[in-house]
Amino acid sequence: MSQEPVAIVGMGVFLPGASTVDQYWRNVVGGVDAVTEIPAHRRDPAFHGHDGTAPDRTHGRRGGFAPEFIEFDPVAHGVPPTSLEGTEPDQLTALAVAVHAVDDAGGLGRLGDPERIGVVLGRGGYLSPGLRGFDQRVRTVRQITRTVGELLPSAGPDVLDRLRTALLEPLGEFRPETAAGLVPNLAAARVANRLDLGGPAYTVDAACASSLVAVDHAIGELTRRRCDVVLAGGAHQTHDDTLWSLFTQLGALSPSQRISPLSREADGMLIGEGTALVVLKRLADARRDGDRVYAVVRGSGTSSDGRGASLLSPSVAGQTLALRRAWEGRDPAEIGLLEAHGTATPAGDAAELTTVADVFGQAGGTRSVIGSVKSMIGHTLPTAGVAGLVKVALALHHGVLPPTLHCADPNPLLDKTRFRVLAEAEEWGALPRVGAVNAFGFGGVNAHVVLEAGVDAAPKRRVRVDEPERVLRLAANTPEELLARLDRPGEGDGDGLCRIGIVGPDERKLATARKVLAKVAATGKPWHGGGDVWCSVDPLLPSGKIAFVHPGLEDGAEPRIDDVAAHFGLDRPQWSTATVLDRATSVSATGLVLDQALRRLAIRPDALAGHSVGEWTAMQAAGMYRAAPDLPARYWPDGFELPDADYLVLGCPVERVTELLPDDLVVSHENAAKQTIVCGPPESVAKFAETCRGTGIVARTLPFRSGFHTPLMRPYLAPFARLAADLDLREPTLPVWSATTARPYPAEPDAVRELYLVHLIRPVRFRALTEALHDAGFRAFVQVGAGQLGSYVTDTLGERRHLVVAAASGTRPGLAQLRRVATALWVEGGSPDFEALEPRRIRLTTGNSLLSLGESARGLLDDRALPELPAGVPDAIVAEFTALLTETRQTAADVVAAAARRRVESTVDVSLAAMPYLRDHRFFRQRDGWPDESDFRPVVPATTLVDLACRAAERAWPGTTAVAVRDAVFSRWLIASPAQRVPLSMSREGDDVTVEIGPYALMTVELGTYAPPPSRTAVPGPETEPPLSAAEIYARREMFHGPSYQGLARLTGLGEQHIRGELVVPEAPGGLLDNVGQLLGCWLMATRPDGLLAFPRSIGRLTWHGPEPAPGTRLECLVRVRLPRPDVLEMTAELARDGRVLASVEGWRDVRFPCDRAAHRVYAFPAENLLAERRDDGSVTVTDRWPTVAARDIYAGIYLSASERAEFAAVPPRRQRGWLLERIAAKDAVRARLAEPVYPAEIRVHADGRVSGRGRALPGFAVTVDLTGDTATARLRSTP
Amino acid sequence: MTIDHASAVFDVVAELLTQLTGDTDVLGIEITPDTTFHEDLQLESIDLVTFASILAEHFGADVNLAEYLAEKDLDDVIGLTVGDIARFVGERTCPR
Repeated sequence: MSQEPVAIVGMGVFLPGASTVDQYWRNVVGGVDAVTEIPAHRRDPAFHGHDGTAPDRTHGRRGGFAPEFIEFDPVAHGVPPTSLEGTEPDQLTALAVAVHAVDDAGGLGRLGDPERIGVVLGRGGYLSPGLRGFDQRVRTVRQITRTVGELLPSAGPDVLDRLRTALLEPLGEFRPETAAGLVPNLAAARVANRLDLGGPAYTVDAACASSLVAVDHAIGELTRRRCDVVLAGGAHQTHDDTLWSLFTQLGALSPSQRISPLSREADGMLIGEGTALVVLKRLADARRDGDRVYAVVRGSGTSSDGRGASLLSPSVAGQTLALRRAWEGRDPAEIGLLEAHGTATPAGDAAELTTVADVFGQAGGTRSVIGSVKSMIGHTLPTAGVAGLVKVALALHHGVLPPTLHCADPNPLLDKTRFRVLAEAEEWGALPRVGAVNAFGFGGVNAHVVLEAGVDAAPKRRVRVDEPERVLRLAANTPEELLARLDRPGEGDGDGLCRIGIVGPDERKLATARKVLAKVAATGKPWHGGGDVWCSVDPLLPSGKIAFVHPGLEDGAEPRIDDVAAHFGLDRPQWSTATVLDRATSVSATGLVLDQALRRLAIRPDALAGHSVGEWTAMQAAGMYRAAPDLPARYWPDGFELPDADYLVLGCPVERVTELLPDDLVVSHENAAKQTIVCGPPESVAKFAETCRGTGIVARTLPFRSGFHTPLMRPYLAPFARLAADLDLREPTLPVWSATTARPYPAEPDAVRELYLVHLIRPVRFRALTEALHDAGFRAFVQVGAGQLGSYVTDTLGERRHLVVAAASGTRPGLAQLRRVATALWVEGGSPDFEALEPRRIRLTTGNSLLSLGESARGLLDDRALPELPAGVPDAIVAEFTALLTETRQTAADVVAAAARRRVESTVDVSLAAMPYLRDHRFFRQRDGWPDESDFRPVVPATTLVDLACRAAERAWPGTTAVAVRDAVFSRWLIASPAQRVPLSMSREGDDVTVEIGPYALMTVELGTYAPPPSRTAVPGPETEPPLSAAEIYARREMFHGPSYQGLARLTGLGEQHIRGELVVPEAPGGLLDNVGQLLGCWLMATRPDGLLAFPRSIGRLTWHGPEPAPGTRLECLVRVRLPRPDVLEMTAELARDGRVLASVEGWRDVRFPCDRAAHRVYAFPAENLLAERRDDGSVTVTDRWPTVAARDIYAGIYLSASERAEFAAVPPRRQRGWLLERIAAKDAVRARLAEPVYPAEIRVHADGRVSGRGRALPGFAVTVDLTGDTATARLRSTP
Repeated sequence: MTIDHASAVFDVVAELLTQLTGDTDVLGIEITPDTTFHEDLQLESIDLVTFASILAEHFGADVNLAEYLAEKDLDDVIGLTVGDIARFVGERTCPR
C-alpha cells in the first residue's frame, strides 16, 4: 500500500525557551539560544561540573531546559490536583501539549469522530522523575535505614523508625492516584483518556528516532484508514543524573558546554528536554474539511543498521536505507531544507553528512539549506525528531529558511553535499518548497520524513506571543482621593465606592483615565469603557440587580470565544450561519458557554432574559429544559421549515411604523425606543423599505428569512407544539423574563408550554421588557454574546442609570472581552473574580535531588556516644567536626526554644474547599446535582478532629511527635457547609497539650516518643462469619462513607462482643481511626435490631506505637464491644500491622440514636424508602420514634431542606415534634403517590397544604395531615 | 462641489458627531475623514439612526441618510467613515 499524503493541521510544543508554537518559531527564526546553565534548583554541585571518569559525577553543566511551569488547568482536564505531585511530568506535558495542538487544529469538534483518533508518542525508557522519586520512597529510604542500622547498631528500631519517617517526610504523602502517574505508557494513554479518544494510544521507544517513528506509525494508521486523525510526537521530560552520567560515560557530552551541529568544532551534544505533538490527517480529508495545512508529509522511511556498525556508532548504509525509502518515487535533489539529526558528536555528524552526500548528491545551482534546531534547544532525545518536524513544517508554512547556531566554520564534509548552513534566516526563494527531517537513534534505528508546503492558500498563522492584559483597579471614598491614587501609583489599590478600572494601562490610557475621572467627578455620571477606562463614583451594584440578556439572530460577525472555552475547559461550539437553524444553534451554544464563563468569574445574574431565540438560551441557562442535540431530527424529520418572509429593520419607534405599515406586513420586534422590525412577504418588504427611506427612516433587510414572532408561523407550529409538550420542564434556578409578556415566566409548566408557543407568533417586545426590568431594579445588563442587543437597552433607557456590557465581541479575543466585563462590573460595585481569568499553570516535577532528612530527625544521632577523635587527625577535619557540633547545639537550642512556648492560638478553615474529603463524609443524601451543599450536612468526623489536633500540636512545637490522645470529648457536630472558621487553641504543660477546637472538641495530645507495642490481644471468643462483606457494607450504605473514608477491606469474624476486620488506610486525614469506628458500627448493624445509628462522643485514650501508616497500608483491627447503657456503645480496639500492635484505643464511646432497620433504609436510601406506612385507603401514617432533640435533628436532616430546617428551628420547642411529624407524613404521602424515587428535600409543603417541587416538577397535589398523639396521618387531595 | 464647501460640510458633520458621542475630547480622538463610526467612535447601527435624524434636522430632509445607507451592505455600514458621510452630505447640499 503506498503511503497516503498526510497533512499537519495542528501543532503544540513545550520545549526549551518555548511554551507555544509561536514562541518556538520566533526563537527558531531569530536564532535564540535556549541552552542555559542548569537551573539552580535542579543542580547538585556534588554531581555537576566535575571532571573525572567516575559515573557519580559529570563535567556537564549546561543543557536545554523546558519552562518550569506549563499552562494547564488540571481540574478542567480531569486530573486530580492532589495527584500532580509525583506524577510523571511527561504525562502532564503530553496532555497539555495535546490539548494545545488539538486547539490549534480548531478544537476536537473539527476532528471528526473521536473514536477514530489515535495517539502515538515517542518516549524513552529513561529513569524519569516520577519513577526516580518512587524509587527513593521504595528503596533508598530502606537502604539508608539499613546502612545507619549497620553503621550504628545501638540505634535500635525506634531511632530507625524515626529516621525512616523523617526521610519520607519531604517526599510527601503517596496517594493511590499517584501510582497511575508512574505507569510509562500513560504519557499517551492519558491523552486518549482525558480527550476521550477511541483510536489506539501508545508510546514507542526508538531512542532518538522515537518521535519520527511515532509519525511513521501515525501515517500507517491513516493510510490503512484505521484512524482519521492521529496525534503524533514525542515526550521527554527527564534531565536526570543517570541520563547525564550515561551520556558522559558514552563520551557524547560536549566538554566545551556548547552544541555545535555540523560545525568543524563540534565536540558533543548537550541534552534537552521537551514535548511536541502534531495533529495528522489524510490530506484529502483536510482539504475536504477546509483545514489549515501547515505542511504535507509526502514520505516516511525507517530502517535499522543491522550489523552495519557497532551498537552505539551510526552506519551510513542503515541511514541511507531510511532516506531512500522515504524518497521513493521522488527526486532527492528537489529539496529546499533538510533538518539534520545533528547530534554534534564528531562521529555522528560525519556519518550523517556522508549519508546526506550520498542520497542528495551535489548541488548544481543554488545550494539547499541544512540545519539543526539542536543548536538552540539541545538534543531532546525521543522528542528530537518531532521538534525538527515542527520546525520544518513552520518553515514551509512561512516560506522562511531558519538559521543554525554555532556553525561559523562548518564541517568540511559539508562541501561534498548540496547543502549550506545559514547564520541568519532567509526567505525561501526559488528553492523547492520541500523539506525533510532526519532522526537517528542509538542501536542503529533510523527515521526520515519528507514534507511539502501545504498547497492550499491556508491562512497563515499569525505569530503572537502575548501576555494577558493587566487591569489597574483603584478605589477611594472621594473622586479627589481616587485622582490622588491614580497620580501616585504603587500606593495600594484602596477601598471605597469611587472606582476606576483601566484595562491594559499604558501612558496614553492613564492620561485618558485622568480626563475621564475629571469628567465623572464634575458630572457624577459614570464612564463605561471608552478608551478602555471605566469609572463610577456612585455604583449601581450591589443595590441594583444584574440581568443576563441573550442575543437572538443578528447579522453580525462570529463572536470570538475559542480562548474562553479553552481557558475554562468548556466545549467550543461550532459557529455556522448556513441556515436559520444553524444560526440559532450557534448563538445559543455560544450563549451557554459564555453564561458558564461569566459565572466562573463570580458574575451572577439576578434574572435572565433573551431576544427572540435568545429567550430559549436563557431558559436553558436557567435549567428550565435542556435542548437535546437530536431535537431537529426528532421533531422535523423531513427538514426544518419556516415561512419565506423577510425582516426589515427600521430606525424608528413602533408608533411611527404603525402609521405607515401596509396590511400585509406586521411588526415582529419592538427592539428599542428607536428600532422596530417588521416582517412579511419579500416583495412587500422591499416596497415598504423604499417608502420608509423616502421619509428618512433608516431601513435595512436582514440577511435571513423566517416568520418567527408573527402569525405567519401559525401553519408551522405543529412540530413546535409537540416539542413544547414533550419538554422536560424544571423550575428555573433564576427568574427568566419573557419578551412576549415583559414579565417573568409563569411557574406552572403548562403555562410555560403555552408561552413557549405564543412567543413564536407574537412580537418580541424587547423595549417593553427593558423598561420592565429597569422598573424592577435591574441596572446592569450583560449581553451574553456579540452583537447589538446591548445597544437596544441603552437606546430604550437613554439617560436612566444603567450599565450595558457585552460578554463577547467579533473583534476582540474572548478573554480580553471578559476582562472588560469584569472591570465594568467591578467599577459599578460588583465583585467579580479577576483571578479566574489568569492562565492556570502548574509546576512540573523535575525530579527530587538527593533525599534530605525531614526536621523531625535532624541530629537524631547526636546524643549517641560520639567516637573519640583518634590522635593525628588533620586540623581541617577537627575544625569541621567542631563546627558540626556547634551547629547541632544551635539546632537543639532552637527546638528547645520552640518547646518552651506555652500557648498557641490559631483558626481552622472548615470548608469543603479546605477539606474536600468531607464530600465523602456527608450525613445525608440528596439528589445528584442538588444545589445546596448544607442539605448534605458534611461533618468533620471526630477522628479527623483528633488528627487535626495532633498535627497542629506538632506544627506548633516543631520536632515533636504526637504519640497519644486522651480524654477526647466531641460535644457538637462540626459542619463544613456553610464554611466556617473555627478557633483552635493549644496550651502545653510538659508533654501534654490541651487542644480545644471551638465548642466542638476538647482533648489532650501527648507529645514524646512512641510507647513500645504491647503484645497482641487474643480473639476474645467464638466467632461466626459476618453477614455482609466489606464491599456490601458500602454498597448497601450500612456505612454512609464515601471513597476517601472507605477503609473496610474485609470483615473476618463476628463475636458476641467483638468484631474483627482488615482495614486499608484511606486517604482522608483521620480516616484510619474513623474506620475503627465503622467496624464498631458493623458490629452494631449485625447484632442489634434498633438503635442502629451511632456516632462517637468521647475517646478515653488512643495510643500510637509507631507513626501513622500511609494511605494504602493494610492493617488488622480487633474491636471489643460493651454496652454500659442501652444508648451507649463502648469499645476497646487494637490496630496491628505486620503482626505488631500499631495503635490501641480504650474507652471509645458512641451514642446511639433510635433507628430500626426500616428507618435505617430511609437514612441510607431516602429517595426510595418511606418512614411512613401506606394504608389501604391511600393515606399514609407515621409514628414518632425519635423522642430526643438530637434524634429529631437527624430525621429533620433527612426530610427537610435548608429553608425548612430554618422554619423548623423557629417553631416553639414544644411544637417541634408535631411539626416534624406532620412534614414527614405529608412528604411521604406525596412520595407514596409518585412512581419515581424522590428525595424528601425535593418536596416543599406549604402552610395551606399545597405541595410544590424544589428543582423538579410535581403534579398539583395538596395534602391534609391529621395529628393524633404520636401519629400523623396524611392524605392527598387534588387542588382546584 | 468646491473644496471650501466640502471642508465646511466636514467641519459641521464632525461637530455634530462630537456632540452626539460627547466623549471625543476625553478620549483625545480627533475626527478626521478616516475616522470610522464603529471601530473608532464605538457607535452601533442604532446610533446611526440617531445621527440620521440629527443630519436631517440640521441640513434639511434632502440629506436622507436612510437612502444613502440603503445601498450599503452590513460590512460597508460597519466600515463607514466620517468622510463617507461628509461626502454624501456635501453632494446633497451642494449649491448648484
